[in-house]
Amino acid sequence: MKPQAHHRPGESRWKGYLYLLPGFLIYLLFTLIPIIETVRTSFFDWGALGKSNIWVGLGNYIDLLNDSTFLKAFSNNLVFIIFYSIIPIMLGLFLASLLGRYPIPGFTFFRTVLFLPQVISMVVVGVIWRWMFHPTTGPVNLLLGAIGLEEFQQAWLGSFAWALLSVGSVGSWVQYGFCMVLFLAGMQRISEEYYEASSLDGANELQQFIHITVPGLKSEIGVALITTMIAALRVFDLVYATTRGGPGESTLVTGFLIYRTAILNNDIGYGAAMATVLTIVILSLSLLIRKLMTERSDEAA
Amino acid sequence: MKRIRNFFLITTIFLLTLTSCIPDTPTEVSQEPVGEVPAEPAEDLTLLVWDQFYRPEESAVIDQLNREFENDHPGVTIERETKILEDLKLTVKLALAEADGPDVAQVNQGRSDMGAMVEADLLLPLNEYQTQYNWANVFGTSVASRNSFTPDGKTFGQGNLYGVSPTAEVVGVFYNKGIFAENGWSVPTTFEDFEQLLADIKAAGITPIAFGSLDGWNAIHEFSAIQHLLVSLDYINNLTYGVNNVSFDTPENIEAARIFYDWAQAGYFTDGYSGIGYDDSNNQFKAGEGAMTITGSWFAPELLTGTDQDFGFFLLPGFSGQATVAIGGVGIPYSIRKTTEHPDIAAEYLNWMISPRAAELWAGIGMLPAMSLPEGSDVDTDNLFGETLFAWDTINTNNAVGHYIDWATPTFYDTLVAELQKLLGSVSTPAEFTVAVEADYAQFLQGQ
Repeated sequence: MKPQAHHRPGESRWKGYLYLLPGFLIYLLFTLIPIIETVRTSFFDWGALGKSNIWVGLGNYIDLLNDSTFLKAFSNNLVFIIFYSIIPIMLGLFLASLLGRYPIPGFTFFRTVLFLPQVISMVVVGVIWRWMFHPTTGPVNLLLGAIGLEEFQQAWLGSFAWALLSVGSVGSWVQYGFCMVLFLAGMQRISEEYYEASSLDGANELQQFIHITVPGLKSEIGVALITTMIAALRVFDLVYATTRGGPGESTLVTGFLIYRTAILNNDIGYGAAMATVLTIVILSLSLLIRKLMTERSDEAA
Repeated sequence: MKRIRNFFLITTIFLLTLTSCIPDTPTEVSQEPVGEVPAEPAEDLTLLVWDQFYRPEESAVIDQLNREFENDHPGVTIERETKILEDLKLTVKLALAEADGPDVAQVNQGRSDMGAMVEADLLLPLNEYQTQYNWANVFGTSVASRNSFTPDGKTFGQGNLYGVSPTAEVVGVFYNKGIFAENGWSVPTTFEDFEQLLADIKAAGITPIAFGSLDGWNAIHEFSAIQHLLVSLDYINNLTYGVNNVSFDTPENIEAARIFYDWAQAGYFTDGYSGIGYDDSNNQFKAGEGAMTITGSWFAPELLTGTDQDFGFFLLPGFSGQATVAIGGVGIPYSIRKTTEHPDIAAEYLNWMISPRAAELWAGIGMLPAMSLPEGSDVDTDNLFGETLFAWDTINTNNAVGHYIDWATPTFYDTLVAELQKLLGSVSTPAEFTVAVEADYAQFLQGQ
């Protein structure tokens, strides 16, 4: 390159931004504009498929506060956080510390198998588990029968007591493999010397887990928490493919309610208000977790 | 810098989340050029038609009719696009607003679909064609009102005609003839006999009614089939069309809910029915598990093939001395886009789809046609299809065609599904059920 082609410092940066332009345009078109449009729509009462919209200001949001169906759906989302985040992270930590520290024969095979649920489409997962939970021909009840636990056999997905738990467990099944692989990768960063040194000092395996493994995986746990929590709050496909929110409203979640309200019942403004609230909640929780994680690593440093 | 990167990471994740909350609604608008009107020949044009007859047998009927239409109308090409109902419902609202949208499309009945599209001025009123083609001879006012709205889209069941339906539906009882014959049971003629039969079948160790409520919607049919026997047809009409200020919280509806609940408690439904889906339940019934099932005549074609069992069909019988009123109606109608450049040929096509020839083709695959079979038709009616046809003719002749009550309000379907699951799950009582449903209905009437 000829020296003359160089620009003065500062000027050349704009060229750099130019390379970002195509990506930003796509982002703008398919993400930013739809979001702005969703927020704008949420201030209207949608009529005649968009031909006669009435400005209602915060009316849709005020209605949401008094909408018991929405509150029920939202509280179900919070329960889903337990199944999507808390349980998979704990299980993932447990499995990772087991597989990561004590390599067993066929390690790659197990890691792949345990990760598999994560790569299956959620609708397929839903179809599979609907079959698993079938009251008379499903493997879950057949297994219970085979080991003499007939009294525990249930119509899992149709029971008011069990449906949320059942659908939630499927979520745990999908998410734990992802957490495990994430933690396994992170553990390769933790020096084996820590474990050796602590062993010499007489630390047992539980103490090593609490004081070496978990702190060493802090940033991975943060990432796992954010991604799984977002998955819990936006869950739609799993509920759509298994229970459609039933029985009653026992597995109804905000994502499904938005679909039903906006798309099926044409109440687009109200559905957009729900989507906006959900987005704000997800954004705040993500920032909060991120902040907590950063502060804690600052302390550690 | 790290913080900034983190911020972007989080923003990206959450933005992705937002956009994926609402499922994709692809708007596949066909790229086919639609009818530039050339000088001559006068009819050289393409008619774009969207339908939801995707099942192979149904699709073959439509292809056959389209071919015959093209042969009969030189210069006209039918460009057909088939979608499953759910996909069609999502996309057709947008597509009909486009200048190159379908000229003819199947539009689901009810307020959320046809009503909303009439309100948005997307559909062509068919009143003039109704007179021109004398459709009054093809279907009566009861059928026409199901495809009618006032021009503002607010009042259902009156005003302009916006669609014509090629197929008909009646909800009744399918029964396994083999199981009935083995046990010496016969088709009941009163509701009291029917309930006795349920007890007898249960006592014989057989599931009386194959049923699965996991998908929700078919519970509406089971409940409402009983309801139709307890209330008057006027009441069902008023309730469905939202006129004359009726209430859902009535002694008759409580009684219907109580009977439905009692059947569940008595073990008349498939074990674990709350965890079984509609298709699974139907497959079990087809395989010979369960003596009866209550659903619509659309199930008949499936029972005519691929099974060694012999099935029959009867209407849920009325209480002794009372009329038999059954849920019934016509299938999803064909409508015309308001802004089509070829309204006349589109109307010609609609007329073609409800012709005697169409009736014969539908009957040939075991689907109930909405129109009469032509004189001297050689369609085999000495089978299950014949029994559904007989049931449909019976309620038509007796002016006893009821309604799908979930059309009553835009949210009635969701409310009924949730409340019926609560009723069956003993979460609410029959009286609480009607109160909860009435809350939805009253709110709707208030907003009208």
